[in-house]
Amino acid sequence: MDFNLTKEQADIQKAAREFARGEFDPDRILEWDRKQEFPVSIWKRACDLGFQGVHFPETYGGQGLELLDHALIIEAFCRQDSGIGLAMALSDFGAEMVLVHGTDDQKRKVLPFVAQGEGWLTLAFLEEGYDLSTFQTISHKNGNGYAIQGKKSYVTLAVMAQYVVVVCQAEFSEPGGQSIFLLTKDSKGIELEGMGDKLGMRMIPMQSLTFRRVVITGKDLVGQEGKGSSHLREFLDTARVEAGAAGVGIAQGAFDRALDYARKREQFGKAIVTLEPIKNKLADMVTRVEMARWMVYRAASSLDQRKPEDRWTILAKMIASKAALEVANDAIQIHGGYGYMSEGQVEHFYRDAKALDLFMESGSLEKSMLGDQIAGRA
Amino acid sequence: MEILNYTEDHLRFRERVRSFFEKEVTPHVDEWEKSGITPKSIWKRMGEEGFLCTSVPKEYGGMGADFLYSVIVSEELVQTSHTGLAAPLHSDVVVPYITSFGSEELKKKYLPQCVSGDMISAIAMTEPNAGSDLASIQTTAVEDGNDVVINGQKTFISNGINCDLLIIAARDPSTSDAYSGMDLYVVEAGEKGFEKSKKLAKMGWQSQDTAELAFTDCRIPKGNRLGTKGGGFLMLMEKLQQERLMVCIVAVAGAERMLRDTLRFCGEKVDFGKPITKLHNNRFKIVEMAAEVRLGRVFLDKLVADHMEGKSIVVDVSMAKFWTTEMAMRIADQCLELQGSYGYCEDNPMVRAWRDMRVLSIFAGTNEIMKGIAVKFMGL
Repeated sequence: MDFNLTKEQADIQKAAREFARGEFDPDRILEWDRKQEFPVSIWKRACDLGFQGVHFPETYGGQGLELLDHALIIEAFCRQDSGIGLAMALSDFGAEMVLVHGTDDQKRKVLPFVAQGEGWLTLAFLEEGYDLSTFQTISHKNGNGYAIQGKKSYVTLAVMAQYVVVVCQAEFSEPGGQSIFLLTKDSKGIELEGMGDKLGMRMIPMQSLTFRRVVITGKDLVGQEGKGSSHLREFLDTARVEAGAAGVGIAQGAFDRALDYARKREQFGKAIVTLEPIKNKLADMVTRVEMARWMVYRAASSLDQRKPEDRWTILAKMIASKAALEVANDAIQIHGGYGYMSEGQVEHFYRDAKALDLFMESGSLEKSMLGDQIAGRA
Repeated sequence: MEILNYTEDHLRFRERVRSFFEKEVTPHVDEWEKSGITPKSIWKRMGEEGFLCTSVPKEYGGMGADFLYSVIVSEELVQTSHTGLAAPLHSDVVVPYITSFGSEELKKKYLPQCVSGDMISAIAMTEPNAGSDLASIQTTAVEDGNDVVINGQKTFISNGINCDLLIIAARDPSTSDAYSGMDLYVVEAGEKGFEKSKKLAKMGWQSQDTAELAFTDCRIPKGNRLGTKGGGFLMLMEKLQQERLMVCIVAVAGAERMLRDTLRFCGEKVDFGKPITKLHNNRFKIVEMAAEVRLGRVFLDKLVADHMEGKSIVVDVSMAKFWTTEMAMRIADQCLELQGSYGYCEDNPMVRAWRDMRVLSIFAGTNEIMKGIAVKFMGL
């Protein structure tokens, strides 16, 4: 059991942190968040410097590193800014589905594309009403190919993405069978609809996608036909680690700001960091940050060692997103009135933390999944 | 037996307020949230209907009504799904300083206009370097003949842009004691040297025109001081009790509304083939939320009753302020949680409530200050 990062991991963490510190401009952050714009310029730079897709093999535009390395980068980015960090993490949402289950052709097409900053990929799985076992979006057999019919909601970056991974209920397969496809978004029959403003993760535009008999070939199938739900489950393990890493970064970033403010802010003739209630709060915050960090690293490492257990990934996402929420909440309180103002920055961390907490699946859903698992229900 | 005895008159008043808000406030809220301010015309309309400053004595144009009328307006305003129209701040926090401590001349001059909605008021205590530590304010008021000259900067001032009348806390630099050197003055907007310098962007209360105010050699008549010289700090300590009680009303009524509306929404929405409220893991959570809201209501009503009887509520209101505001935030948080992905979409009215509730534990004295007051009065 070794709890230390390797030299290489520490270097990556340092490089990501330096990049974020140098490039994330606070004024632009306020503007991107307000206007709900994806930070294209930062994303380009991050791709140019090789921060995106580090866990893809070199042949597919990556650096052949591990998920933990990728998680360290997300954490470092979110620590500097929750909005940009989340935008970077979700710029290739669904990539690991292609990475693990895609054909060589699919990997060559998509992975270098997203890692090198040529464009975006997204995963469409959620629908109105949460039930991953039965989707209303259906893939019908159509000669040698398929036709997709249905509607997906809460699709991140749908408006910008050139590629979409879509999870469908498979017609004619065994009950509960699902199939996954990789589509180009300009496929005929795909319609985009905005989902309005969001509370957090505002640099990641979100839309719904309607599929009206979108005809695709057999080559667009990702993984095995009818095995989509197990592919999705595996993918969600990875996605939870990424979301968890974002949570750790947000929590750490909110804590950094609160500590800094508490040291500078003087009331009652002394810096408020010397006051007992503030020290107590800071201690609570550190407790949450560290708990979350080790849970996320543990989960990442279990996937890297090919010993996946969704217990760890559920815990990672659940604990880290709650840590982000609670620490950012405390950070606002320490900042007082200034914390409630946009200029104070921490309210933006808090809103992003809330969105992250509800993204993919809510904490209460995660708790019930964990409960089912412990009690032994399938 | 009810804790508060609402009469037929109160109930009729509540009906009138509710129907007025439904017709003239709720339909405009989205627009006000976008523009970051409420139009003066709605204040004027509230004045015409008799919904502003209900406690002001009849001789100054008010109703001379009891505190329950203030509670009613505040509770009904919570139902309008926004918090920016800070009429209770005007009616029940700022104007009472004039009613209680203003000279006859000031009362005659300003109270009727505050009641009619021709004047919107604000109060300026907080400064960039003086928040929780109110005694450390740096804004100065220097007497010069029959005038007083004010210099300094105030921040996070609600109604800051709309205000026509401001009560400002300032210190006399010739008095070294921070407490006995503080005074409150009434300043009209438009006085030379009084600048509404900046409207502030914030997480919530987006239709509220919270602002920074700047004073540069702002000259006002000496007669604009409230009460006797050096009495400012004590006046604040007295009136902050009701201000905190007003915050508790927003917290409890807000929590009630959020829970009610969320249950309505979740009863219709389906996850795993069932309405969200029927899902096993949600049901206990909902019962826990309902229990918290009930506790808040009972605590609040008892405080209102005590306040109306003139009892000292310092300790209880300090406890209620931190407990009810934290409760309201817990309820807001859990309401979004119940709604899953829809919980972060801004067209969901609960999202605005979540953003709005967050400030309650900060303004009118942070929750840490509330606990500090309780500690002191409980002799701990």
